Amino acid sequence: MESFPIDTLPQAGYIHMACFISVKNAADLKERLQIQDKSLTFAMVQSSLIMDVFQLLVAATRSAQDNDAGKLKTQTLSSEIVYNLSPTNNIAESLRRFSIDETTKSLVAIKIGGEADQVLEEMSNTIDGNLVSFSKLDQEKDMIKLRKYYKIDPKVTDDTAILNWIIGAIAMKNIQ
Amino acid sequence: MIHNAQLIKQGAEAKVYLAPFCQRQAIIKERFAKAYRHPTLDKKLTSRRVIQEARCLNRCQKAFIDTPTVYLVDVDSSLIYMEFIEGCSVRDYLTTDDGHLPEAQAKVAKEIGTALGKMHNIDVVHGDLTTSNLMMRKESGSLVLIDFGLSYVSNLIEDKAVDLYVLERAFTSTHPNTEVMFAQILEAYGQNSKASKLILKKLEDVRMRGRKRSMLG
Ligand SMILES: Nc1ncnc2c1ncn2[C@@H]1O[C@H](COP(=O)(O)OP(=O)(O)OP(=O)(O)O)[C@@H](O)[C@H]1O
Repeated sequence: MESFPIDTLPQAGYIHMACFISVKNAADLKERLQIQDKSLTFAMVQSSLIMDVFQLLVAATRSAQDNDAGKLKTQTLSSEIVYNLSPTNNIAESLRRFSIDETTKSLVAIKIGGEADQVLEEMSNTIDGNLVSFSKLDQEKDMIKLRKYYKIDPKVTDDTAILNWIIGAIAMKNIQ
Repeated sequence: MIHNAQLIKQGAEAKVYLAPFCQRQAIIKERFAKAYRHPTLDKKLTSRRVIQEARCLNRCQKAFIDTPTVYLVDVDSSLIYMEFIEGCSVRDYLTTDDGHLPEAQAKVAKEIGTALGKMHNIDVVHGDLTTSNLMMRKESGSLVLIDFGLSYVSNLIEDKAVDLYVLERAFTSTHPNTEVMFAQILEAYGQNSKASKLILKKLEDVRMRGRKRSMLG
């Protein structure tokens, strides 16, 4: 797991994230999300839609700020992070695309605030899978979906440009 | 609100900071209200400018014009978080030894003209073209357009011609003996802008008007 400060809102605590592969209980986790199980205190997103940790950090930072301003568009801070990864304002579609589904094998768990040790324990106890380092994210990318969801121009091919496109799309979502 | 930030420019309508953001260094531009206007109206106008600046930056990015990537827009606080471009301005570059070489100037001129042509093709008018608002990336040397604080979307030939005129004035007032370079900018612009014939013709009218105005004092 890795923990990052929220530069724009240090008082909100850290952004904790952990990458899991070979996840076996996605159906169960998905079910708990659906019934809005309050004991699930972190967000889970599809690893395949993460181009770079920066993308997660930007979405989480924005969610922390909106939470602080009392302006969440979704039910919880966790769902807000998932929503903010998406470039559109369609909440249902955003959550459907970026959150985990029954078949998810690789995911990133994210939580804002809390003690790192406790957060990691909670994530590891909940997710039945292997905790791996973020360098593994690279192998999970689904470029076809990334291109489709972020409407990335086919002429954009290098990784930095793709990431910049994604970040730009996320940044524009509230001012389209 | 902005932590560990280093103020790099205090302007009349905006403060520009360099600050850590999500494990990177980012530029944070804070626009503030002009005191003499009505507070509520002011807030509205400021928000609109923030949104307009971010949109124009993004519009350029999507059209493959090198501009800072927008990271986050906080409309309520009038903040734009964006990519920090490491490099130097064309203004500073033209004062270096390298920057005096005709070959170097020709290369930069071509990049400037190309970028402006592409920008006008998507109807973005920069509104404040100066050599300080043209940067060169340290790593790649790629030309980057910055400061879209006065930019807007327009398809009018006149607006685009004035945009070029503003840059021309910036060149003549800040950089002596760069007539050749500016001509090279217009040449590259001509090759890359769709309506360049009309725009360049209009530029001559705009110049005339400018001259008349300065003759009248
Ligand atoms: N993305 C960036 N990367 C690197 N430096 C930047 C960036 N944006 C701005 N700067 C630096 O900060 C200076 C001021 O920024 P900018 O021109 O955007 O502000 P301004 O002139 O005060 O704004 P405005 O013209 O909208 O009132 C620039 O000349 C440049 O040196």
